[in-house]
Amino acid sequence: MAKQIVEMLVETATMELPDVKTLHLKWPEGYDAEFKTGQFITVYWPHKQKYKRAYSLSSCALDRGFFDVTVKRDGKMGTSIVDWCEAGDKLFVIPPVGKFLPAFEPLGKHLICIAGGSGVTPFRGFVREATRRNLDTRITVLYTVRTTKDIIFNEEFRQLEKENPRFKFEVTCTRLAPEDPWTGRRGRITAEWVKSFIGDAASTVFYACGTNELVAATEHLVLEELKLAKEQMRTEKWG
Amino acid sequence: MSTQIPADLKYAKSHEWSRIVGDIATVGITDHAQHELTDIVFVEFPAVGSVVKAGEACAVVESVKTASDIYAPLSGEIVEVNKSVTDNPALVNTEPDTGGWFFKLKLSAPAEAAQLLSADQYRQQIGG
Repeated sequence: MAKQIVEMLVETATMELPDVKTLHLKWPEGYDAEFKTGQFITVYWPHKQKYKRAYSLSSCALDRGFFDVTVKRDGKMGTSIVDWCEAGDKLFVIPPVGKFLPAFEPLGKHLICIAGGSGVTPFRGFVREATRRNLDTRITVLYTVRTTKDIIFNEEFRQLEKENPRFKFEVTCTRLAPEDPWTGRRGRITAEWVKSFIGDAASTVFYACGTNELVAATEHLVLEELKLAKEQMRTEKWG
Repeated sequence: MSTQIPADLKYAKSHEWSRIVGDIATVGITDHAQHELTDIVFVEFPAVGSVVKAGEACAVVESVKTASDIYAPLSGEIVEVNKSVTDNPALVNTEPDTGGWFFKLKLSAPAEAAQLLSADQYRQQIGG
């Protein structure tokens, strides 16, 4: 099917966190998109056609009949979606594009996915697809958030961890109060922490999705410290 | 793609440029910044007549991928904003350091300009 811009119905709008909402956008009758997990769509309101924002898909390519995007309350579009968008609204959608794709082929890779904040959203698609296809791909998501209240898709990632023994979801919190009962890791993502998850560096592909700072630090680690090839580093800024 | 860093401008670490003529500074964001932001779809400027301090968030720029604050590189009063950019935010992408300027400041502390970076220093900062 040709890449066409279509109006899609917001079938459900789900608050994930107080400032993060997932829109479940229903494909219209007869629509069928050729796309890959990890790509992004661009959306705009019917009444503001010049004003567009791109969001990574949080659903995967095996999910047919809809696109999920998970939006942080940021900027005019993020604010309007999180504050106002509800089931029954319509958004125009430019079909998925992008090269932030999981390296499922050849088989046997280890994907280390480094995310900050809403940068975790495309990785839900990665893990969903790998789990449903029962791939032997290992996926480790290293996720930095301020507090435990900022973890997006916590329950789904924990459930996917149970279903898929090759998937690990590791969270580090940067701004927890000392008395917080969280027993997981605290502090920023460090090179040492990332290195502790690398088995065979040659078969590892690194992904970074988040702020420029997070992406630059990951690129530095992979390309300068580990001296791995550029093909082993894939980035998506701002998620 | 090579990044434009005109030698006659002064630069803030937060990626704003200033073209200072007398006590007026024209301010915009750098070519590097617009490239990082990708396609710009919205800008919001401070009101003409408002007074800003160096380092203060005073404008917003939103691209298809993110929204960012823009900081006043110098202190002063906003005397003009670029309505062409309000009408056509893509100008920031196509002419970042000329037609895509954001606002003009009447400087209240011109000596602050000494704190800004030269083109060479800014090039070093962005690793260009």
